[in-house]
Amino acid sequence: MLKWVLQLVVVGLVVALIIWLYGNYIDNTAEQNIPTDFGFLDNPANFQITGNELSANAPIRDALYQGLLNTLRISVAGIVAATILGTLIGIARLSSNWIVSKLATVYVEAVRNVPLALFVVAGLLVVVLGVFPTIQDAWELGGLAVVSNRGVAVPWFVGAGFGLLAIGTVGAVAAWIVARWRSSVSDRTGVLPRSGLWAGGAFVIVFAIGWVAFGYEWTLPELDGRQTVGGIRVDPSFFALFFALVIYTASHIAEIVRGSIQAVPRGQGEAADSVALSGFQRMWYVILPQAFRIAIPPIGNQYLNLIKNSSLGAAIGYYDLTLVAQTTVGNGSPAVPVFALTMVLYICISLVTSVIVNYANRRSALVER
Amino acid sequence: MRTTTRRALVPLVALALLGAACTSDDNDSSDGDTSTDGTDATEETTATDDTTATDDTTAPDDTVEVVQSDESTLDAVIANDSVRCGTRDALPGFAVLTPEGDHVGFDSDFCRVIAAAVLGDAEKVEMVDLETADRFTTLQSGEIDVLVRNTTWTATRDGAEGATFVTPTLYDGQGIMVAADSGFGAITDLDGVIVCVAQGTTTEGNAANEANRLGLNWEVRAFENTDLIQEAFIAGQCDAWSADSTQLVALRSVYPDGPEALTILPEIFSKEPLAPAVADGDTEWAQAVNWAVLATIQAEEFGIDSTNVDTFSDSEDVSIQRFLGLEVEGDDGAAVLDPGLGLPSDFAFQVVSQVGNYAEIFEEHLTPLGLERGLNSLWTDGGLLYSPPYR
Repeated sequence: MLKWVLQLVVVGLVVALIIWLYGNYIDNTAEQNIPTDFGFLDNPANFQITGNELSANAPIRDALYQGLLNTLRISVAGIVAATILGTLIGIARLSSNWIVSKLATVYVEAVRNVPLALFVVAGLLVVVLGVFPTIQDAWELGGLAVVSNRGVAVPWFVGAGFGLLAIGTVGAVAAWIVARWRSSVSDRTGVLPRSGLWAGGAFVIVFAIGWVAFGYEWTLPELDGRQTVGGIRVDPSFFALFFALVIYTASHIAEIVRGSIQAVPRGQGEAADSVALSGFQRMWYVILPQAFRIAIPPIGNQYLNLIKNSSLGAAIGYYDLTLVAQTTVGNGSPAVPVFALTMVLYICISLVTSVIVNYANRRSALVER
Repeated sequence: MRTTTRRALVPLVALALLGAACTSDDNDSSDGDTSTDGTDATEETTATDDTTATDDTTAPDDTVEVVQSDESTLDAVIANDSVRCGTRDALPGFAVLTPEGDHVGFDSDFCRVIAAAVLGDAEKVEMVDLETADRFTTLQSGEIDVLVRNTTWTATRDGAEGATFVTPTLYDGQGIMVAADSGFGAITDLDGVIVCVAQGTTTEGNAANEANRLGLNWEVRAFENTDLIQEAFIAGQCDAWSADSTQLVALRSVYPDGPEALTILPEIFSKEPLAPAVADGDTEWAQAVNWAVLATIQAEEFGIDSTNVDTFSDSEDVSIQRFLGLEVEGDDGAAVLDPGLGLPSDFAFQVVSQVGNYAEIFEEHLTPLGLERGLNSLWTDGGLLYSPPYR
């Protein structure tokens, strides 16, 4: 009974606090004539977003949408790259090669213990401004890419992005069907499935057919005075932030991967050895699938961290959701609605990521009958 | 796991229902009160904002009090015996934090002008360094009393940002700076270039609009602070650097390769009146700050400065007597003018003797950077500085 009363009191206090704070907010904004509604979304944004198609007269709504897209771009790219790099380093830490394992240890310990904000600023000041050349001395890598401190221009396609996405989806479905077919063949006959190879081939073939059929073309980047034309230019701030997020998150993922590999029962590796699998086969077919089963939930946490950490890009002018929100407030939009909206958007991104990770977790979990 | 959640939810729902019931009760009773109180009370409730009325469910008198603000900033400043002034720490000429911990500059001096006027002591000021993008939220939340941070007065900031601007301290305009060896001589030479600006400023939008207007292809790149812009500029990531022209002059004066490495293009393409701002809804405080600023302008017009202000104590000029808080002979004996601004009667004397008049402040901080008075001359010299009469 007492438990109940205590719980009621606590809930009551929390609710009272929220009501009090909200009342304060309403009173204070009314006193200073600050709007509390979302009408500001239709006002002109009055700033450009480098690398995005957004005119200065576009409404704030569009600017926030571009910011959201930029957050998603850096998150997806960062997650993919950090997973690959982190896994490699995690495996390297357990290598029997002394130099490789020590280098990996030094990497993990050095990077994990330095604040991320430092990497972000270093990404801009050291990598982009320090290492990359000026546009006048840009590196033209065989006509395929133009690298300068104004961005990295790479080949890109001409045509509707949506159509290409549709072709990619069809390709992915084809790849999935082929992979299923290969594994059923393998179950029946015992030949190696090589699903990855077959699925990749199917994807490439479907994609190539779609590419030609719908008349897509490449454009190559070229230097033109102080800018580049053709291709697509990856913004230097994107590059700096990407560098920082990948380096940092990979060090955390590496530790998770190392721990998960060590958690796979020793007998599994010995069994793989006893049927004469090669080192790669042993890792790829036996150890890693079981290690990832353990690693998925903590790696999912790192993904969420990476998404939220991408807001540090605001410090170096990467127009992610946070920076767009900040700029909007600086230009005269009311702070509370803008940041409330931004928070909701971040929560949505995080929840969707969680759902995907949980799905992967459930799929990979041991099915007990 | 499931059951615990449910157990926690039950009291929450119960309480929510209870809360909803209570609120509606209160509303009913207060509605009843108003109607019995008579017409006056009803008018008061309808006059107030809807949200305030429903939130504040007690007597209508209280609701009115909320709208009228609890306490004037002026009283709070006097009670604290200190003015909290929002400023910055690294803009040469305007506000620079010295190694000794003092703020030196044009804006910093206007913080002192306000302290001298309100508290009679120019040093009773607490400088709060702010990032550009945070300045208005800090002002709204009452963490600072006044914002003197080379801030442009615009309609949106006056309205939606909850700021009230007073008389501008500097009439500025946006310009563009390029490397002297870049070969750019006019703004129209700048096509297909990257223009770097500070984030969260009017500069950002102005640059984009100007490029549109002139049909030039500019990529406007924003950075968090001027240090980062300078790094990017030195590394050649930016072709041009845009900011208020006074700010450009100031930044050029501390450029690592020397001021002559940079050229400021002649075109000015925006109006940037830089004015102190206070939070909305406190007219008394806004007026006090406004007249503190005006006192520096009026003093210059009278020819009163910090070196000669004492010699005016026996002035025969009635308007100077009023201005300096001296006794003025009237029909019913000598009296000191009290215009009811809530400022001490000798506030102008304190401002001029402790900080100086407008010309002194400008010449101390901005003239060394190579800035001309230009628009910031007195109206009698063809400028825009004009103080309403003090009487």
